[in-house]
Parts: sequence; structure tokens; C-alpha cells
Amino acid sequence: MIDVRHVTKKFGEGATAVMALEDVSLIIPEGSFFTLLGPSGCGKTTLLRLIAGFELPSEGEIRLDGDSIGHLPPHKRPVNTVFQNYALFPHMSVARNIGFGLEMLKRPKTEIAATIEEMLDLVQLGAFAARRVDQLSGGQQQRVALARALAPRPKVLLLDEPLSALDLKLRKGMQSELKRLQAETGITFVFVTHDQSEALAMSDQIAVMSAGAVQQVGTPEDIYTAPQSRFVADFIGDTNIVTGELLGYDGPMAQIRFGEGRSLSVKTASATLVPGPVHVALRPETITICDAASDAALLIGTVRDATYFGAGSQMSIRLEDGTEIQAQVDRPSPAGTLVGLNCDSAMLQVLAD
Amino acid sequence: MADIVQQPATGSQNLQQAVQARAKAKRRVRLFLLLPALGIIGIFGLAPLSIALIYSFLEPGTYGGVEWSFSTDAYVQFLFERDIFDDTLGFNSAYLQIFGRSFGLAILTMCGTLMLGFPVAYFIAARPPEQRNAWLFAITLPFWTNLLIRTYSMLLIVRDEGFINLALMKLGVIGAPMQMLYTDGAVLAGLVYSYLPFMILPIYASLEKFDFALLEAGHDLYASRIQVFRHIIIPISRPGIVAGCALVLIPALGAYITPELLGGGKKLMIGNLIAMQFGSGRNWPFGSAAALILMAVVLIALLLSLRAGAEKENRHG
Repeated sequence: MIDVRHVTKKFGEGATAVMALEDVSLIIPEGSFFTLLGPSGCGKTTLLRLIAGFELPSEGEIRLDGDSIGHLPPHKRPVNTVFQNYALFPHMSVARNIGFGLEMLKRPKTEIAATIEEMLDLVQLGAFAARRVDQLSGGQQQRVALARALAPRPKVLLLDEPLSALDLKLRKGMQSELKRLQAETGITFVFVTHDQSEALAMSDQIAVMSAGAVQQVGTPEDIYTAPQSRFVADFIGDTNIVTGELLGYDGPMAQIRFGEGRSLSVKTASATLVPGPVHVALRPETITICDAASDAALLIGTVRDATYFGAGSQMSIRLEDGTEIQAQVDRPSPAGTLVGLNCDSAMLQVLAD
Repeated sequence: MADIVQQPATGSQNLQQAVQARAKAKRRVRLFLLLPALGIIGIFGLAPLSIALIYSFLEPGTYGGVEWSFSTDAYVQFLFERDIFDDTLGFNSAYLQIFGRSFGLAILTMCGTLMLGFPVAYFIAARPPEQRNAWLFAITLPFWTNLLIRTYSMLLIVRDEGFINLALMKLGVIGAPMQMLYTDGAVLAGLVYSYLPFMILPIYASLEKFDFALLEAGHDLYASRIQVFRHIIIPISRPGIVAGCALVLIPALGAYITPELLGGGKKLMIGNLIAMQFGSGRNWPFGSAAALILMAVVLIALLLSLRAGAEKENRHG
């Protein structure tokens, strides 16, 4: 288990100092596939580098299984990294690359040879042991980088956007391969990415980061269906954010009304909002279209246009208050018609901001 | 029927002839284009060497130049001394000592430039790309001044009334000036100073494309700083180190101006010995022989080191 406690990382001094991480606390459970997700510059790579030991925290503490490791140099941490551009040693064969960590740990030669063999099998590169790394394709180099980082059996494997240099098809293949490797080895994977679909597909847990802070931690389903903030709702998938009126709370649920409609019981990210206008997240695929005059209509708007994308159509609708929203439907209504929008109230989420 | 079958046969024959003719013409053009390069190598490389080789087997002329009669005296003289009275040969190590001193100084020069040059090359390679040219310019700047002038200024620094002695005496570290000029140390310092850029530039070239993420990868895989240096930085910059060592060692062996000025002509190196034979010594054959012996030794050493390097490569491959 990795326990990140109140970690702050500043680059530079004084007025020009850049705050990369600000008071970040996070628990990464043992044996999980944990993803740090966020746009570039959000601090996710800095956090990874702090765990690896390439940077030292300005404040705070990082514990691994209870031991404080935040100030150890990288070669004294039982943590290995898969680098974004692989950083394979160009002057060594595939086998020596994989054995390098164990060689530095002064393990017996027979053990190193056996582990190299095992790792080559694990990443399906058995025939390439004697190759130079510059004779390999991108996908193969990627697998060597993985094998090299896994060979010393670290407690934690850090992956810094390892799939970003691969083309789409290879990337999909590597996603499932990474999942398989994580399950087979049982090692904690900490995966950094800016690709939300990758994060949703692979992770046990996701920490969404922005501006040097953790916005929300949860399972992919939590993050997708119950975003806490506008940022998370916006960043994960396509989301409509509409304004509703908060009437009050009924236990854990918020009472919401759109326009003059009926009151709905909706999940909420915060139980301390003051009654009045609040932001509600509404996923495009949960919307159904009904007659504007029908009782079922929660919101009313005018169809602007529709785009066919194969499995359905994406309709763009302008609400009465001017908000533009997207809805995925099987059969779009013609542009200019007034339509009612309905949605299962369980799929709505009141945001904290 | 037969005609129709014949037709393509003659066609392909014609084609073959045409292809052959073209290839022949191409070869001729290629040879013609090679002429300038071959000419330069012949006139400036092979011809002088041949002259030196021929002269080394002739007898010295009384006022310089050579007498056209075959003799191996020049080579014999290198190791033996002919007794004036009974004409017997006795072993003479004087010239071997000069060779020994030259190799010693040249190897020390190589080590010195490597120790000083490697960190500098690494430093420049680690700068942001837009700053590197300025640093390289600074390294090559001394070349804009004549080597003779640079060596003279070195002389002014190390002589008895020079900057170092004056400063040390002012500070009270020493009472009387230290003898630094005309010592092997002065010659070594001068050689290191003169040849440093020849070490820095090739090492820089081998580190220019160095991916500094490899250092992090090494640290991450449990290598300490020293291990990263030994297992990652050194092997990757090895081509530059080898080239730099060769570029420093070979000219340092034949250095002339530096030992002449800073060694005061007392601490002879091969270059001075050879120059002396063509000048005041008036023994051109011996000068030629000394130059060729030096070249042979260097060539053999280079071949041996290349073979050792190749074997090492194979074992690691």
C-alpha cells in the first residue's frame, strides 16, 4: 500500500516558483491497478516521479507498506518505472536490459538468467533475447521496458503514459496485456494517463487530478456515474451540465426541480449546498426524447442539428435558458422541433460546484 | 512460328548488351570521378611516406640530404652505437629512452585530457541545445591563436618569474621560485592544454544525442551513481573516448613545439629528435627511420587496441 500524506512539490524558489502538487493525500491499495488521470500539467507525472524518487517532496511524506520512502534515492526504493519513451539501454541486448536491475542488486547469475527467461515468456519475446533493442518495433520495445521493470519484482510498478507512443491498434492490445500482467503478478500498478477511456477501461481505481490537486478518487464506475465536481464530470466522457433548482435534502438525496417541473430525488456530491440554482450532470446516452407537452419532459429545448455516428445519432439541443446539450438517440428529431427531454433520475448527479 | 520465338530472344540479347555497355561506361565515369581523391591521397599521403621510406635506407650526405647508396645504418643506429676505434656495435639505449619518454608523456597527456575533457564534454551535452554551440565555441576559441603564441604564454606563466611563482611567493608558500619550466611536468601541462579540445569534441559528439532518461532508468533499476556511470554513461560514450584518445595520443607522440619551448630542448621527445636529424644533426636517413619506427609502433598499437575492442564487443553482443 502506498500512502501519500500531504505532499506538496514546488519547483523553483520565490516569485517564480511553480506549484506542481499542493497538499496531495492519497492511498493506493496493495495489488490494485491504480490510475492517475488528468490533463497535461495537472501534476500526475510529478506525483509518479515523487513515488519513484526522481524528485523529492517539498513537504509531506510518502509511505510504502508503512515505511517512509519519500526521501530515499530511486535505487533504494523497491519501485520500478516504465518510462514514456521506454529509456531502454541502447548498448545492451534485450536480455541484458531485462537483467540489469537484478545485476545491480547483485543476485546470483543463475537466478538472473532464470528470471530473464521467465520475463521473456511473460511478455512473449522469447525469440528476441539476443537482439539489440534498436532492432525492435515500438510495441516490442514497450514489452522489453515492461519486462525490465518487472524483473526485480518491485512492490510497485510505475507506468508513465507508456502507451502514448503506440498507434491505436497496438494500444488496445497493450491495454489488455497490461491488465493481464497486473493480474498475473499481483504487483501494484500505478498508471499515469491523460486518456480517460484508457483509464476507465483498465483501472481498479482512478484518481482524477487537476491543477496540482486530487479532485476525486473512486472506481471507474463511481467516477463516471457520480462525478463530484464540474471538472471531473467534464473530463470523463461527454457530459451535459444543466442548471437546476435545489429545493432541499431528503436524507442523502437532493430534491431538484427543473423550471416549473416536478421535484426529483437525485444523487448529490455535496450535502451542504444552499437551496437555489445548482449544477447537475447529465450523460448524453441517458437522455430520451419525448413530446414537449408531455408530463415526462424534465427539460424542453429546440433541436439544432443531429450527427449520425453509426450506432445512433448525436443530437444537439438548445434549452430554454440557452444551454446547449448533447443527447444520444436512435432516431433524431428534425432540426427546429421543440422536444422534451427525459432521463432516469438515478442517472443524474448534483455537482459540488 | 520460329520467327516469333526468335524475336524475344534477340530482344533480350540486345537488352543484355545495352546493360553491359552501360555498366562499363558507369565504371569508367566512377573511376574518373575518383581521380581527384586518389590523386590527393597519392601526392600528400603515399608519396611523402615513400620518400621517407627510401631515405631511411640511404646514407647521410655531409651537408644534409642523402647519398644514394643502400644502407641499414639508420635503423642500426637507433639501437646500437658503433665504436669509433674497433667498429664493433654496442647497445645504446639513448634513443629508446627518448621514445620511452615520448610514450610516457603522450600516455599521460591522453589520461590528463581524458580526465579533464570528459566532464567538460558531459557538461556541454547536458546543457539545453541552444546553449551548446556557445560552449563549443568557447572550447575551440584557443585554436584561433597560433599554437606557438599559446605555448609562449604558457612559458610566461610557469617560468621562475612567472605568474605561479610570483603568486606563491607573495602568499608566502615558498621562499624562492620553484623550477617548473624545462621539466617534464611543464611539457605535460603544455601538451594537455594544447590537445584538450581533441578529447572534448569527439566525446561530446558521442554524448550529444544521449538520452538523459537512461540515467533515471539506471537509478530506478537499483544502480548507484557510480554504477550508472560505469554501466551506462561510459559504454555509450566509448566510441568518443576511443576516438579522443587516438586523436590526442598520436599527435602528442610527435609533438614538437611544446617540448621544444617548455622542455627547453633538454627534455627531448621524438618530434624534437626527428627535427634535430633534419636540422643540425644532418642525418636525414636517421630522421626518416625514427619517423617510420614511430609510425610502425603507433600502427601496431592501434591495430591491437582495435582488435581488443572488437573482441570485447563480440563477447558482450
